[in-house]
Amino acid sequence: MKLWFKSGSPWVWMTAGAVSVSLISVIGLLLLIASRGLSYFWPADIHQFDIVTQSGANKTIIGEIYEKEQVPTQQLVESGVLFKEAQGETVERFLIKTGNREYVDLDFQWLLTTYIKQESTPTGLAVFERSKNGNFYGYLDSIVQDGKVITDNKNELLIELIDRAVELNDKALDLQNGEIGAINYEFERLRLKQRKHELDGDLTDQIKLDITAQRDALQAEYLTYEKQLFEYRNLAKRDTVIVKDMRGELVTLPLNYILDVIFPNDMSTIEKVGQFGKQIGKFIVDDPREANTEGGVFPAIFGTVFMVMLMAVIVTPFGVIAAVYLHEYAGNGAITKIIRISVINLAGVPSIVYGVFGLGFFVYMFGGSIDQLFYPEALPGPTFGTPGMLWSALTLAILTLPVVIVSTEEGLSRIPGSLRQGSLALGATKAETLWRIVIPMASPAIMTGLILAVARAAGEVAPLMLVGVVKMAPTLPLDGNFPFVHLDRKFMHLGFHIYDVGFQSPNVEAARPLVYATSFLLVSVIVALNITAIGIRNHLREKYKALDH
Amino acid sequence: MISMAPDMSNKKSSIIDLNNLQEQQIALRIQNLNLFYAEKQALENITMNIPKGQVTAFIGPSGCGKSTLLRCINRMNDLVDTCKIDGQILLHSQNIYDKSVDVASLRRKVGMVFQRPNPFPKSIYENVVYGLRLQGVSDRRVLDEVVENALRNAALWNEVKDRLHDSALGLSGGQQQRLVIARAIAIEPEVLLLDEPTSALDPISTLTIEELITELKNKYTVVIVTHNMQQAARVSDQTAFMYMGQLIEHADTNTLFTTPSKKKTEDYITGRYG
Repeated sequence: MKLWFKSGSPWVWMTAGAVSVSLISVIGLLLLIASRGLSYFWPADIHQFDIVTQSGANKTIIGEIYEKEQVPTQQLVESGVLFKEAQGETVERFLIKTGNREYVDLDFQWLLTTYIKQESTPTGLAVFERSKNGNFYGYLDSIVQDGKVITDNKNELLIELIDRAVELNDKALDLQNGEIGAINYEFERLRLKQRKHELDGDLTDQIKLDITAQRDALQAEYLTYEKQLFEYRNLAKRDTVIVKDMRGELVTLPLNYILDVIFPNDMSTIEKVGQFGKQIGKFIVDDPREANTEGGVFPAIFGTVFMVMLMAVIVTPFGVIAAVYLHEYAGNGAITKIIRISVINLAGVPSIVYGVFGLGFFVYMFGGSIDQLFYPEALPGPTFGTPGMLWSALTLAILTLPVVIVSTEEGLSRIPGSLRQGSLALGATKAETLWRIVIPMASPAIMTGLILAVARAAGEVAPLMLVGVVKMAPTLPLDGNFPFVHLDRKFMHLGFHIYDVGFQSPNVEAARPLVYATSFLLVSVIVALNITAIGIRNHLREKYKALDH
Repeated sequence: MISMAPDMSNKKSSIIDLNNLQEQQIALRIQNLNLFYAEKQALENITMNIPKGQVTAFIGPSGCGKSTLLRCINRMNDLVDTCKIDGQILLHSQNIYDKSVDVASLRRKVGMVFQRPNPFPKSIYENVVYGLRLQGVSDRRVLDEVVENALRNAALWNEVKDRLHDSALGLSGGQQQRLVIARAIAIEPEVLLLDEPTSALDPISTLTIEELITELKNKYTVVIVTHNMQQAARVSDQTAFMYMGQLIEHADTNTLFTTPSKKKTEDYITGRYG
C-alpha cells in the first residue's frame, strides 16, 4: 500500500479522475440541453385518448404527450381522486399538449392513466401551426375554397392553399416592414427636420411648404401601399378550413392564420426527420410570436452576434494599446504595479455593477449629452440617451477589457528579447519594432484574449438588461433605412430571451422546451464565435511560430 | 606545460602598426570608456583604435566585458536601464554618445549580429529587406537586387534562391545565422559587430561563417567577440585581450598569440585560466 502511494499512481488516478469529472459534467450538460431543446422540434405522434372521468363522463382528448411521471397514490387519494380498483404505490400520469387554446381552459393538461379507456394514434390527425393561439389539433373535415366546399383530395389541396396564404402573408409583411416601414421612417425624419428648423428659428414659410409637400407626397405613396397591403390580406383571408376537434365539434379556421399543417401520424421516419430539420430552420430564421412563446429567435441571434462583434471591435484596440503602454513604456514603478493590480481586479467586479455604471455614465451622461448637442430636435424623446446597442457594446467592452489587457501583456512578454534587439540593431526605432515585429508576433495572444472576452460577453445578461436589451425589439439594428446601422436601437439577446421565456412567460409549459432550445442555440452561437476566433488564432500562431530557443 | 596557443604559421595578414595608425585607417576610436551597471563597473577606462577594413577580435574569459564593449559600439546598452557610460566612442570623429546623435541612424551604420540566430518570423526575402523597408524603400527592383547581393555576400544565395518567400524559420541554424548576416549587410553598414556568432552552431556551419567573415572584411570593418581562441586566431587581423573589464593587450593577432607582452595575456592563451 505504501509502495503504491510512493509510486505516484494515486496522483495519476486523482488528476485523471478530476479531468473525467469535468468532462462528464460538460458533456452531460450539453447532452441534456441538446436533447431537451431539440426534441421540441420533433414532430411527435398525436395520441387520441378515450377517457372516462371520475364523474363517469366519456371524453376524448387529442394531443402530444409532453411528459410522463409517477405520482404517489397516497397523494392523489388525499387530493380527492377515487380509484375503483386498488392501485400500487404510484400511478402514472401524462402531461398532454392539447392545443386549441381558444376552446379549452388550458392547452396543457394532466391525465391519469387510470382514466384511459382506449389509446390510439389514428391517421388523419392534423396539426395546424398557427400565427395566433398556438397549435390546433383535429381531423380535417372539409375546405372552403373561395366559397366552395371541397371534400375531395383535401390534404393536397389544403397544403397548396396554405402555401398560397403564407405567400400572400409574407408579401404583406415585406410590404409592411419594407416600403411602409421606410415611409414611416421618412415621416419621422421630416418631423424632426421641421422641429430642428423651429428650434434654430429659421423655419420660413418656404421650408414649411416644402416639408408639407414632401409629406403629402409620402402620404400619397403610403396610401397606395396601404391599399395593396389590405388587398394582400383580403386575398389571404379567402379560404377557410373546417376541422373536427376533440370535442367532436366542427371549427372553422381561417387560412390566413395558418402557417403550416402536418399529419405526424401519417409520416414516415424520413419525413419526420425532414420536418424536424424544417422546424429547426424556422426556429433560427423566424421572428418570435405570441409573447416569445412561439416562432423563432432570429432577432435574438442577430442581436447577440452583432453586439458581441461590435464589442470585439471596440475592446481590441483599447486593450492592446493599454497593454502595449503598460508593458513597453510604463516602466516598473509602484504606480504601474498599482495600475496593473487594478486592471486585474476589474475582472472580478460583478457584471451588474458594470450595467449600473453603463446606465449612469454611458446612457444618461454620455448619451444625454449627445442628444443635447446633436439631436435637440428629437427631445424630449431620447435618441442616444436611452439604452441601446452602442451602450451595451461599450459596457461589455469595459467588462472584458481586463481580459484583453492581461493576455496581451502576457503575449508581449513572451516575445524573445533577441528579436527586438535584432530589429533595433537594423536601425528600427522602438515604435517601428513594436509595429513590425512585436505586435504581429503577439497577435495570437491578443486573439486568445479576444476569445475569452467574446465567450464572457456573449453569455452576459445582467448588465445588458440595464443598458439595451429588451423583450421584443420591433426592428433590427441593421436595416435598409439610412444610415443603415442604427446603434441607438434596442435589441434582443439570446441570454435575455432565455430569462424572459423562462420566467416572464404567460404559458409555462409551452415555454419550457423553448428555454432549452434557446440555451442550446446560445451555446452553439458562442461555440461558433469561439471556433472562428480559435481558427484565426491558430493561423496566426502558425505564421508567427516562436523560435525554438 | 602544454601550450594551447593556436598554430600561427599559416596566418597571412597585412600587418598594421596599431600605434601609428593614419587618421583614414581608423574606423572607430574608443577613448576612456567607463561603463557601470548600477554600482558595478563593467568596463574600466578602455582606450583603443579599431582599424578600418580589418577584422578585430575581442577575447577574454567569461564576464570580462568583451560583449559589453561590443554593444557599446552601436549603443545596444541603451536598452539596459541601469547602465551608465562615460567616455567617448568616435565614428568619423563624431562621438556616438553625443546628444545630437540619432541612435537609429547610428545602428544603420554599425550593424550587429547576435550570438543566437534571430531571424524574424517572416519570409527569407522580408528578413533581408527589413532594414530597407524601415528606410522607406519599396521599389521592387531595388529590393530584389539588394536581396540577391546581400545573400550572395553572405554565401547563402545558392541555398535559398528558390525559396525566398518561404519562412526564414525553416532554415537550419547555420543558414539562419548567415541570413542574419545578410540582413545586417543589406543596409550597407560601415562596421559589422559579431557577438559570438558561431557559439550556437555546429562545426561545419562555423567553418562557413568563418570563411564568410574573411570575405566580409574586404567591404566592412568587422569586430568579433569570441570565446574561442582558435577562431580569433583564424579569422582576425587584430586581437584585443580583455580581463575583468580592462583592456590588457591589443595587438595584431600574430604578435598577440606568439609573443604576448603581458603576463595575463600569456596565462590566458596558454590556458592557465579562462
